[in-house]
Amino acid sequence: MNKKYLKILIVAIVALMATIFTHFDAFLYSEPVIKVESVSTLSKQKNTDEYKNTDTQVTQRINGRFLNTSKRGKKISLKNTYYQSQLTDQKYRSGQQVILTKSSGHYSVNDIKRDTVLVFSIGLVIVLLFCMGFSRGKLFTSILLNLVVYYGFMKLLINTHNSALLLLTVITALLISAIALIVILGPTMDAVMAYSSTVIATTTSILLSIFLMKLSGYSGIHLELTDFGLQPYFSVFISQVIFSVLGVILDETMDISSSLIEMKKEIKDVNEKTLFKSGINIGRELIGPLINILLFIVIAEHLNVVLLYMSNGNSIGYTFEMTLSLGFAQLLISAIGIVLTVPITSFIASKMIARRPM
Amino acid sequence: MLYLFGAFVILLLLVAGGRGFSLLFGLAINVISIIGLLILIADGFNVLITTAIVSVIILVVAIFMNVENPNTANIAFKTSLLITAVIVLITIPLEYWASAHGMGVEDQEELEGFSLAAGVSFPQLAVAIIIVNSLGVISETSVAITSGLNEIVENKPSLTPAETFADGFSVGNRILSTQTNTLLFNFFATTFPLFFLIHSLHDNFFDIVNDKLVVAEVITMLICAIGVIMTVPITSYLVYRGVKKNQK
Repeated sequence: MNKKYLKILIVAIVALMATIFTHFDAFLYSEPVIKVESVSTLSKQKNTDEYKNTDTQVTQRINGRFLNTSKRGKKISLKNTYYQSQLTDQKYRSGQQVILTKSSGHYSVNDIKRDTVLVFSIGLVIVLLFCMGFSRGKLFTSILLNLVVYYGFMKLLINTHNSALLLLTVITALLISAIALIVILGPTMDAVMAYSSTVIATTTSILLSIFLMKLSGYSGIHLELTDFGLQPYFSVFISQVIFSVLGVILDETMDISSSLIEMKKEIKDVNEKTLFKSGINIGRELIGPLINILLFIVIAEHLNVVLLYMSNGNSIGYTFEMTLSLGFAQLLISAIGIVLTVPITSFIASKMIARRPM
Repeated sequence: MLYLFGAFVILLLLVAGGRGFSLLFGLAINVISIIGLLILIADGFNVLITTAIVSVIILVVAIFMNVENPNTANIAFKTSLLITAVIVLITIPLEYWASAHGMGVEDQEELEGFSLAAGVSFPQLAVAIIIVNSLGVISETSVAITSGLNEIVENKPSLTPAETFADGFSVGNRILSTQTNTLLFNFFATTFPLFFLIHSLHDNFFDIVNDKLVVAEVITMLICAIGVIMTVPITSYLVYRGVKKNQK
């Protein structure tokens, strides 16, 4: 028991040290970083725009001290203007560290230095994991391996200037789901079973959806509204669907197939049909919660834009068409995948498990 | 879009039979609640209070409509309420510290022609975004762990708190890894266009780790993970308490 507390203590200290280090790491930055020492409000102006939104525009004076570059320790005073709603602009507080940009001899505020809070949050999650009785080794291995694959994917994507996006996505998706399954289930037949179900279900749902969208001539689907308008629209859209549905389908296939394996263990002479039927029964219960997960993730992602559209006097219908319709199309494709996974996994698992001698 | 929706409904009814209708009904209520939330916020209601109320409605629908065993549903509901409260308490200071609200330079193109003086508090909205994001994951995790744990506990006549927690973690282990995958892969889905764009804007490690949108995405994922992690001890405690009460 003592050893466990010692471990937690060590992890907590390492996390804390890392956080503190990033608080003082301004010397690593090439851009000037200042620490805000005091702020004062210079002027406030209440505006009502053409859509009757009332917002206050505030100009503040920021007094700070350089933390790096050759001006280290010297004082600086800057002006910053922001709206109280802070959509794209920022209110600065004393104590914050702020990154500046220098253009033609003039300094202006660029962004808040956020690495400290980032490292702190990661540390918090790791410490929490160590506080509890989870088996962490597998979890960390799978996350790290997947992050490495994702990093490689990003590098290749950037080097090929996004020209082979779809191909790269498919390869990455195949890799990360294989890694996740092998780490969780080990290199067993169960993993092969879950893997083949995942791949077949995902492929089927994506192909079916592409066919249906082509058939309807992409009506109601504004592909040009993908995040950040990244081209080629179609590949970006499909790649996002693949990544987001993959985790959920993995979850589903593992749930169904492991329950069926349990069943075979308890009833030795269970036949294929019974297994298939109970697979469907188990899967039915999973569909609702899994679609919910993606529904909330999709909506949460677009909350900012939705509110921007609505506060700019757009009707609810137009707002949703411009902001959420693509998300909903993505959600529907994922939902089709989630539903299709149930019979596909039940079929594959029942075939493989029924024939297996135990 | 209609074709996709039609295919979804047909497949759902084929696979889930009669359950399909109640599933569709539950999803419809969730979508309507979320739309209600958006309209209320746009009308100037307090972001955090509205989000809290709508979250409770969503959790009720997500849990009581999907779970048939009333005991499991009760414990799962209590757990998710507690977890949501924990998430609010963690998110507010972290968001205040990170100031990763609103939209970034990467969104510039989309923002063209908009009046940016929206009159909505985007720092508060950032908290709402994380809460809404976590609702699905939390309700699913708490239901999965509660039903898994209940099954084990019901077959054991005597029970110590340490045992319940150990069982909770053995059920929780697998759910944690699958849920981490869901969160991580969704993170990949949302961030690959972002990273690509950031690369073309400025290719510097320090710019990326301080970028508003990147930090917002990472924090969202981490806070959801905290929610999943915390579900296990809370569920174990509630299940244990429930069993103790029945024994008396």
